Parts: sequence; structure tokens; C-alpha cells
Amino acid sequence: MALTEETLIANILEHSGSEGNVDADTPLFSSGMLDSVAMLDLIMFVEQQSGMDVRAEDVTLENFDSPSRIMMFAQGLAA
Amino acid sequence: MNAANLYGLFSANLPDRSEKVFLFDPFDEATFAQVAGRADCIAAYLLTTGIRPRDRVLIQLRKSIGEVAAMLAVAKVGAVVVNISTTWTREQVEFVAADCGAKLLVTEPSMARSLVDQGTNPHRLLASARLADHPEIAAIANLPAARVAGAECGPSDLAAIIYTSGSTGKPKGVMLTNANILEGARSVTEYLGLTGNDRLLSVLPYSFDYGLNQLTTMMLVGGSVVHQPVVMASEIVRVIRQRNVTGFAAVPPLWIQVVRLLAAIPVSLPSLRYVTNSGGKIPLNILEQMPHVFPGVRIFLMYGLTEAFRSTYLPPEQFAAKAGSIGRAIPGADIFVIKHGEGVAGPGEQGELVHRGPLVSQGYWNQPEATAAKIRPCPELRHLIGDEHVVYSGDIVRVDEDGDLWFVGRNDALIKTSGYRVSPDEIEDFVHRSGMVTDVVAFGVEDEILGQSVQVAVTFLGEAEHDMLLAHCRKVMPPYMVPRRIHIWPEAMPRTASGKLARPDVIQSCEIALAPSRLKPPTPRIPSWP
Repeated sequence: MALTEETLIANILEHSGSEGNVDADTPLFSSGMLDSVAMLDLIMFVEQQSGMDVRAEDVTLENFDSPSRIMMFAQGLAA
Repeated sequence: MNAANLYGLFSANLPDRSEKVFLFDPFDEATFAQVAGRADCIAAYLLTTGIRPRDRVLIQLRKSIGEVAAMLAVAKVGAVVVNISTTWTREQVEFVAADCGAKLLVTEPSMARSLVDQGTNPHRLLASARLADHPEIAAIANLPAARVAGAECGPSDLAAIIYTSGSTGKPKGVMLTNANILEGARSVTEYLGLTGNDRLLSVLPYSFDYGLNQLTTMMLVGGSVVHQPVVMASEIVRVIRQRNVTGFAAVPPLWIQVVRLLAAIPVSLPSLRYVTNSGGKIPLNILEQMPHVFPGVRIFLMYGLTEAFRSTYLPPEQFAAKAGSIGRAIPGADIFVIKHGEGVAGPGEQGELVHRGPLVSQGYWNQPEATAAKIRPCPELRHLIGDEHVVYSGDIVRVDEDGDLWFVGRNDALIKTSGYRVSPDEIEDFVHRSGMVTDVVAFGVEDEILGQSVQVAVTFLGEAEHDMLLAHCRKVMPPYMVPRRIHIWPEAMPRTASGKLARPDVIQSCEIALAPSRLKPPTPRIPSWP
């Protein structure tokens, strides 16, 4: 799986006005940092990098609200 | 009704509904009386810092009860609300604060820290919560309870400035009067049929006319607003059910996600009475699914531009026959389609949409020339309305045989991406300031999800390269403005005889280069999830 925390955070920085302040536990959506366009891009990025399909119903705060949550979710998909 | 401004619109509810919950946050709620109390605390602080009627106060707060209280406080003392999106960067906040001459900036703690570190006087800041490392910055959370008398105000007084991209240069502040805001609330309330029993889900920012209008309509009818700061389809659907939401407004990128989720897992939303779209066209395949995922829900397709607040809507009864049309004028507004130099367009013809009526704004803050170009008498309408000023939308629309309007495109270079209007000049200015390029041309490319995607062509200077420029863009631009693709031009760009960049030639070359690359796998535009 090509998805790493480092590339994930780099992708998130591209779509946020956070000025570089994103780490593994930064809340992304519950903080208002990312908007609906950024969300679509993020899902596409996770799909491309992991080679998995993300189902619409799996896009939840529990699975997507921080880089570490996204990594755990993606690893669960691959398992 | 005799509400003279935003605060009056709100406070008209206090005699009869003071104990009704007006605002729901995810983990908090406030009655009309409680919101009034929180607004008074902030209003008292504004007065002690010397804020007077007509002063500008910048607000950049997360969607919350506190944000609404801050807006109401500014209105109560007769000052002007300048609310800007939380996705805007520090550079943009500084630009807007300087442009409108804001006396005070009300922000989240992290932005307040960033502003002070870059030289903003801490006494010009009011943060939502206290900063341990900057105790000199006042915090809303620490303000004492207070009572404040409302300032006198009239219908033509300035109420709010909404920042938007014009066709050239930096963002411009659109000036809305008290009358614009009150008329906007009345008109939309009328055609959506809103009542005090309505409870709207607010996802869109109050820095947008469309989002602000949700709040003002609920003030007008004494309804409630449920704040949804998380723009995630699964959360939105959950909250609609949990809070018994009756109305929901969104923009196309959000509809794509919500409709896909509901198509995959149908969820019954018994409380939901109507939904509205504005800010762009919903892709046709998503539009077609809407009546199936929202059975029995009234679907309104709307169109508006900030300079005229709101303009047209398609009634839900017409949705099946005319999905994709923006319909006709909203109550109280007149919409004309103009063929320049010829007259008014008739059935089957197309032209520029112009808007006349009480929603026409006062134009752009401190920009009389840009205002005169956008809002002016219309020679083609002189026989009907004389020299009354109308708003030129810059949007080309087609008139069908029934008089309903269909969006065709822009008549200028403005890029419409995910509901935002972005000027190529502004993007090019940001890119130039990197010091990494000699030439740059920004343009929009058709995109099924975004409407258009922002792209730039650049000629690099010295050792500069793609990733360095992209990093610069991410740092200084809001997310929606960051180029989705940077085309590298290997030499100086072609010029016209007068020495200007030959923009159409550059753009055309990039579009040709894009065509074959779409066959390769780089960035699929449509996610594969259902």
C-alpha cells in the first residue's frame, strides 16, 4: 500500500488554510479546517494511494477526522 | 414589520419566543434570550473599545452560536459586519482588514496568535477564547454580562460587507444595506414558504450571501437554525434525523456527496420538507437522482450573485420538467436578459442576465469605478425603467419558450470553482509574488465536480520548479484557489503586438496538452465510491 502518513499529511496541507500545522492527530473536519471540496479530493487521494474503493457510508468522523484515523481506516480496508 | 437592521430582525422574536431554542451547535444550544444575552456582552465590549456606528468589524469565527452573537453585537451598535470564511489565510485576513479599515478583528485563538505574531496590534483583536501565551488579547469567553441599548439605524445604512472576487484584481467588498438584508429575508421566506416551525441545517458559511440568508429568514419567521460545522455527508444525514431538520441548503460539491451516500444507503428523513441548491450547476447524473433519494421533498434550484444578494429560483413543481434551469425572478426582483446594443432577449434567445430591484447592493467598498462598471443604468431597459441602476451579472443565460432561464456561461474570464468566483488576476498576483516565475496565466478548465478547476501556466525563473511553486500557493491561497494543475511553459510566453501576454494562445496550448493526458490515469475526476 502506497498510502503513508507523510504523503497523506502533504495532501491535506494542499487543501487547507492551516499554514503547515497538521500532525497525525489534527482534527480535520470537526475543526472546520477542510471544506466539502477538500473532502472529495481527500477521498480520491486515499483511493488512488491505497488502491481500494472507499464506500460513501464509510466516510465518517470516526474514520476520517484525523490523519491517524484515516491511516487506521485504510489499513483496515487492506486487511 | 419594522425591523430596521439585522439586530432588529432578531430581537423582534424576543417578546414572544424568548425561551424558544434559536440556535443549535453540536454540543450546545441557545434560546433567543440567551443569544441576545451573549450578543449584549460583546456589544458592550465593542462600545468600550470605541466602536461607533458605521465602523467596520471583521469576524472570522467557526460556525457557532458565538459567531451569530458576534454578528448581532456588531449590528446592535450600528457597526458594519465584515464576516469572512474560516478557510481564508492570515494574508487574506490582513488584506480584508486593511481594505475595509476594520477597527476590530474577532477571530479564533489560532488566527489571533498568528496575526499578533505578524505585527497586528493585540488591542485590535478579540479572540473567541483566551490565549495562555497572549493574555493581552481580549477573549469573548471572559467578557462580563452587560446590557446595551441598540443604535438608531435606517434602511439605507450599511449593514454588511461581503468579500467576493471581481473580474479583475483583489477581492472586493460588496456593500449590503439594512434594506438589502431585510428584503432578501422577506423574498426568500415568501417563495420557500418558511414558517416558525422550520428548522434549517446551516452548513454554508455566513460569509456567503446564501448562507447568511438562511440565518436571516429564520430570524424573520422565528424558526431555528442547526449549525453543522462538519461538511461530511454522513454527519449531515445523521444531524438532519437527530435534530428533525426541515430545510437544508448546499452547493454542488456537497450535493454530490450527500446524494451518493443516500443512493448507496437510503435513509428516511421524515422531517425534511425542502432542499435548495445555489452556487453552480449540479451535475446532471446527481440532479436526476435527487427526487429518488429525497422522496416527497421540495427541491428548489436557485441562482444569485452577491452584488444583488439573490436573483432567481425554479419552483419545485417545475423540477421534473426543467431540472437544471435557474427559473425566474424571486419575489420583489426584476430579472432581464439583455442583448447588448439590441434590446431585451425573447424566447429562444440568450444574453446577459441583469437584476433590478430592492436587492441591488451599493456596489464595492472604496471602488467607485468598479461599482460604476457593475451597477449602472441599462440602455436596453431605458424605455421600461429609465436610468435606474441594475446589476450586470456577467452571466450569459438562455430564455426558453416559457420565459425560464438556463445558465450558459460567463462573459468574462472569471473562474467559477466549487461555488466561488475567482479572478485570474488575483491568482496570477499570488503566483507572481512567489518571485519564482517570469510569466503566468491563470484560467479555468471545465470540471464535472468543481464546475471549473483552477489551472496556471508558468515560465519559471532560475532554479524554481513545480513543487516549490505549489508549496507557495498552498501557503498563501485559500484551498479553493490553489491550482489543480501547473502547466510548465519552457520559454518566455508569446506576446501580442502591444507586448501583453497572448493569453488565449497560452490557454489554448494548455487545453490541447490536457486532452490526451485525460486518457492517462493521473487524477480521476470522479471518485469510484457509489
